[in-house]
Amino acid sequence: MTDLDVRIERAVRALARRTGRRAFLARLGALLVGALGLPLLPIARSAAESPRAPGPDENIPGKEGDQTHCDYWRHCAMDGFACACCGGSASTCPPGAEKSPVGWVGSCHNPADGKDYIISYNDCCGKGWCGRCGCNRNEGERPDYHWVRNNDINWCVSAKSLVYHCSVAIVVGQATEPQPER
Amino acid sequence: MRNALALGAALVLCGAAAAAPAPGEDYLLHCSGCHHADGAGVPGVVPPLTGLAPFLATPAGRAYLVRVPGVAQAALDDARLAALLNWVMREMSGADPHPAYDAREVHALRADPLRDARAARASALGR
Repeated sequence: MTDLDVRIERAVRALARRTGRRAFLARLGALLVGALGLPLLPIARSAAESPRAPGPDENIPGKEGDQTHCDYWRHCAMDGFACACCGGSASTCPPGAEKSPVGWVGSCHNPADGKDYIISYNDCCGKGWCGRCGCNRNEGERPDYHWVRNNDINWCVSAKSLVYHCSVAIVVGQATEPQPER
Repeated sequence: MRNALALGAALVLCGAAAAAPAPGEDYLLHCSGCHHADGAGVPGVVPPLTGLAPFLATPAGRAYLVRVPGVAQAALDDARLAALLNWVMREMSGADPHPAYDAREVHALRADPLRDARAARASALGR
């Protein structure tokens, strides 16, 4: 008898939740909470004009081999999102993004062979900003007042689209003299 | 003793010369970001370095190649900048400056910056 009471009570309560004013209030509440989240969604569209911000992957230890880390040796002067985390690699843009024809060149030390290499940092353009692996190491970018040593520039100014997506670090030669930190 | 000192000085100078990177390396580090490794530049954005020989025909043109901001303000000393200029003219434009640029000439010219690089370029080429 008690079981029957419990079962009927549950059924009635369930029916009341689905059809009564409380169900209406619950759905209205869900709608309001959902609506609150809506303005947060189009981040990718509006972020193209926003300033760059360091990402959660900044300063992860480990230098060799892993192109998806900011501490990867080729990223020594990286200022932006590593393209290897965005569907590309350390030297190639993700599909659909154009490599900026103008970039910034510096040198990085490769701990694997103990040599220094000349690295060209180019931006990949034409897609909304990637937002992953935000790196801001800027080594060799000294002195700050020397405009030609400043890499804090959106190189997409030289590309077809100004919209910044991510940055690549391409080896263009070996350096007999490391870029000085003046 | 004097000979020994001269020999020592020569060895030090040779050592210093050997330690300086080749002009091609300085080109990659200081020029290629904009002008590209082959000097082709970017059409409509960055001028090529492949047809600079006409600049050597006049003193103003020769001076322009040193005074233009990207050259004059490069983070290189006068001697390395002179060697780089001679290298670019030979490798990219097939022209040998006579006389070759040297540290003294580069030092004087880069101390006299251009106010309007575009106008100076046109003027140096007689346009």
